Amino acid sequence: MNIPLKRYWDLLARHITPQKGPFALLALLLLSSIGLQVVTPQIMRRFIDAAQIGAEMRVLANAAIIFIGLAIFQQLLAIGASYFGENVAWTATNALRAELARHCVKLDMSFHNNTSPGELIERIDGDVGELSNFFSQLVLRVVGNLILLVGIVVALFLEDVRLGIAIAIFAAVALVALNKVRGLAVPHQKAFRESLAELFGFLEERLAGTEDIRSSGAVDFVLQGLYRLQYRVFTHWMRTSRKFLIVRTVGGGLMMVGNTLALVAGFYLFRADLITIGTAYLIVHYINLLGRPIRELTQQAESIQNVGAATERLAELRGIESKLHDGPGATLPDGPLDLHFDGVDFSYVEEEPVLQDITFKLEPGTVLGLLGRTGSGKTTLARLVFRLYDPKDGAVRLGGVDIRGPGLQHLRRRVALVTQDVQLFQATVRDNLTFFDRTVSDDRIQTVIEQLELSEWYASLTDDLDTRLETGGRGLSAGEAQLLAFTRVFLRDPGLVILDEASSRLDPATEQLIERAVGKLLQDRTAIIIAHHLGTVQRADDIMILKDGHTVEYGNRMALAADPDSRFAQLLRTGMEEVLV
Amino acid sequence: MSDTTVPNGDVHTLPTWRVILDMIRYRWKLWLLNLGAMLILIVFWQIPGFVMAEFFDLLSGDATTDWNVWTLVGFLAACELGRILGIFGLINTNVPFFMNTMTLLRKNMLTHILKRPGASALPDSPGEAISRFRGDVFEISLFALWINDILGMLVFGVVAVFAMVTIDARIALLSMIPFILVGIMANSATQRIERYRRASRKVSGIVTGFIGEFFGAIQAVKVATAEESVLQHFDEINDERRRLVIKDRLFHAILRSLFRNAANLGTGIVLILAGQSMSEGTFTVGDFSLFVFLLGGVSELTTFSGLLMARYKQIGVSVERMGRLMEGAPPEALTAFSPVYMDGNFPEVVYPDKQPGDHLEMLEAVGLTYHYPETANGIEDVDLQLKPGTLTVVTGRIGSGKTTLLRVLLGLLSKDSGEIRWNGKVVQSPADWFTPPRCAYTAQVPRLFSDPLRDNILMGLDKDNVAVLLAVRMAVMEYDLQEFEEGLETKVGPKGVKLSGGQIQRTAAARMFAREPELLVFDDLSSALDVETERTLWERIFERPDVTCLAVSHRRVALRRADHIIVLKDGRVEAQGGLDELLEACEEMQRLWHGDLGDTPAMPPSIAQSEKAET
Repeated sequence: MNIPLKRYWDLLARHITPQKGPFALLALLLLSSIGLQVVTPQIMRRFIDAAQIGAEMRVLANAAIIFIGLAIFQQLLAIGASYFGENVAWTATNALRAELARHCVKLDMSFHNNTSPGELIERIDGDVGELSNFFSQLVLRVVGNLILLVGIVVALFLEDVRLGIAIAIFAAVALVALNKVRGLAVPHQKAFRESLAELFGFLEERLAGTEDIRSSGAVDFVLQGLYRLQYRVFTHWMRTSRKFLIVRTVGGGLMMVGNTLALVAGFYLFRADLITIGTAYLIVHYINLLGRPIRELTQQAESIQNVGAATERLAELRGIESKLHDGPGATLPDGPLDLHFDGVDFSYVEEEPVLQDITFKLEPGTVLGLLGRTGSGKTTLARLVFRLYDPKDGAVRLGGVDIRGPGLQHLRRRVALVTQDVQLFQATVRDNLTFFDRTVSDDRIQTVIEQLELSEWYASLTDDLDTRLETGGRGLSAGEAQLLAFTRVFLRDPGLVILDEASSRLDPATEQLIERAVGKLLQDRTAIIIAHHLGTVQRADDIMILKDGHTVEYGNRMALAADPDSRFAQLLRTGMEEVLV
Repeated sequence: MSDTTVPNGDVHTLPTWRVILDMIRYRWKLWLLNLGAMLILIVFWQIPGFVMAEFFDLLSGDATTDWNVWTLVGFLAACELGRILGIFGLINTNVPFFMNTMTLLRKNMLTHILKRPGASALPDSPGEAISRFRGDVFEISLFALWINDILGMLVFGVVAVFAMVTIDARIALLSMIPFILVGIMANSATQRIERYRRASRKVSGIVTGFIGEFFGAIQAVKVATAEESVLQHFDEINDERRRLVIKDRLFHAILRSLFRNAANLGTGIVLILAGQSMSEGTFTVGDFSLFVFLLGGVSELTTFSGLLMARYKQIGVSVERMGRLMEGAPPEALTAFSPVYMDGNFPEVVYPDKQPGDHLEMLEAVGLTYHYPETANGIEDVDLQLKPGTLTVVTGRIGSGKTTLLRVLLGLLSKDSGEIRWNGKVVQSPADWFTPPRCAYTAQVPRLFSDPLRDNILMGLDKDNVAVLLAVRMAVMEYDLQEFEEGLETKVGPKGVKLSGGQIQRTAAARMFAREPELLVFDDLSSALDVETERTLWERIFERPDVTCLAVSHRRVALRRADHIIVLKDGRVEAQGGLDELLEACEEMQRLWHGDLGDTPAMPPSIAQSEKAET
């Protein structure tokens, strides 16, 4: 399986174009260093021939000094090339990392629900790392080696035409043979990298769930999982290496042919008195030097195979398209937004409807209380408002606009969600509250903190907003985490707020604190409050009860409460003890 | 809450050499075979230098043998075959050695992390820890094999020096001087190498950690439209990494270059000194060719060994970073030998059977105390008594220490002081004791894994479908299960994202029930369950006769059912007893009960009255 050259070219062109200058400099450094490699043996020849005829000491010393000077100069070029090469590579791969991260972020939730963060680490960081060598040197070295090859063939032509022709044929055959074996290992290499991604995905997930593993007594089970995945990596690595052996063997065989040529030609030309012994040395040295581009091109063929596998995996990742398409850019009105579900059907998997024919209309500034047992579709309904998914049928309208109209960014800026699972970064309190948005001023954050009556907590921080939160918000109580999530919402100015069981994990006293804050938040905003508890929906204007994805009851809260036959009234009457929903 | 809770430095780790030596000892046969292959490769790399010298002597008439040119070609061909043999041997020993030793290190680290108090198992994010499982482990195994490279080069060097001295001792010794000078220079630079390497590895960990957290929180990021600012932060740390890594690499390139120049200077010295000897005929063209070849090889050797110290220091950084993950373990635990099953015959997963002493007759805790580092939060002097067949509910307002109490009892946090007794016997290591089949626990936010539902429940437990379905029913999840098209084979996605919050919690509960433990511990099951589901759950749990439960809850449904209630306030026991007596005597309990907005509907007065009458 060969990777088309065009793909390499595209990859290179796209990421090198922004740094033409450094790349040109890098090319210059590498090519000069290659030029010097062709020149140095000529000095050696002069030296040997001069010594053979017993030349003056001064001539010999001069040759030696020129040799040393050129060698040091070549090393300086190499250092320069290394610096510029690394710089070009890291700039390019960082751009690629950013691009991939951006791409993955845009993918819809069905992708993320099937891909673990550990796997993405391996893809965004690991695979791109493979490409780093490609960007820094590989391409230039391949080109440089080809130039070196041509330079040597030309130099040999100048010594003897027959020899030149023989060597030219040899080099051509060598390159064709190399190209033939080039793609052998790619599929194995790809499987190898995939098995690595799987291994680290597994580890990441297990490391995040130590408490569950431990308290389930499942340590041995997890270790067995580790062995299995390590063994899979082993198998693929071994297969890959064996294919590389074939590539190396071909390269070694070629070298042998070249050496034979050098020895036989040098011997007979010298015997025929056509060349000096210095020239014989030159020929042997050149052909050995020819071995270097051939050997390096072989190694580079390996690297290209690595790159091939990595690019293929990256192309695969990049080829995944979001099933959600950004809206053409309709504008949502300012202020509180009305929300209209119009015959919405939805399912995550075919044949398993999660929502069926949901219809309701929520006037601007009013509050809908959404009730239903777990799995009845409440959370899914909320996700549809954010266009984390699109409905299979029907439409969701916000402020009179179908939400497939406005851009996703615009839409999500106008709606806010508080879930029970608060996701925190290992970063400062500020970055956690603003999601790394540097445009939010500290004053604004502090105002909101006061508004939420969080001043006491804030005062306990050792380093104010610069205090770093630990991984997963360790050290924060569930309630504090919840309050942070509220702060996030308060920092924005949404026209619609969805509280998904926002207060469910809070103790009653803290809940009252939050209730007051929610009151402030809901002023002049439309809201949906999702809850299992009746108390949470006390501020609702309308009530909707879901069951198995269907609306079983929908209407004005007061009216429903007053109608003794309504489920809601029954629910109120019997309180929490009765099964009704 | 500050990052200083992670202690810096002062981690007791094995000395670097010991870790490497242990890796070699662990698979010493593979390592020796690898060394053999390396020696074959080196020998067949060196012989051609002598063959070529013979060739030039043949041309100039200085040859000491009567070989013709075709004999020499034959020798070269044989050497090529020898090299292929060497590479074959290397490949077949490299990969197995890598996989065996890397698996051992990863296994030991993972085992220890799983042994640590579960609530504070990692010094950093899981994504960051991955960089230690990946890069640092690899470096160690690599170094163990690298030693073989060095040994091979050393053989080359000894042969080379011997051959050169035999030909012309003066030229040989003088041409070696640059190597010695450069060697001294390089070794004085090792400190810097170590510093640069440490910085570049650390920042790599930050990058991987961030990717993990970022995509772990993807829904929150999307919903907050924070994609751009988060990506910008990603760009910033990437750029920082570029800077540090380049510094590290550049310094290496300079060192490497120094060694190459030593070879060039050596060759220059040969040129100057040999010129005269060649004119006089005491130094042949063949000798000259051999010197140039051997000096090139010696340069490789010194490059390798000159970087040895630097490389060794870098490994030291890796060992320390791995040691940080192993905090609290004896240093030897990192390299402790045990099977890694790279033959593909994996061991059976064995769950221990219940022993007579496991049967719960009485669980007591006295004076349990724990404080979170750097904060005043925690629990203070908490006493606890659990009798078999009872439900004990821990309640209290937010931050009162409910979850902390459970974690300290179960050893998920290690207590500052206090004593725990199971059937009167002191439990020395709660973390090891409070596991199935004695005890099982469901956290407030349980974690599921990207496996089918069945595997998430069983996690290797050897039980049939009937038992799984029973556990599922007990967790009030049989209804959900019918909805899943693939039933127990349903893949739940990373962290169980394909399930709803309540389904995750009930899956975790089913996981607990499947283990049939003596003691069930729940941390606030209610948060993702509606009242009716929770009530059914309690009913089903107590269908089993001798089940003992400890639960955190503030729901009336749980409090009503409780045989004993413990009210916590500011980390201390405010009161304990039955519901009725607490409602009468304990102000905090009254507040919790009546302020319980979560379960008491705000309702029209008439209905409120009827409820009051009912209570």
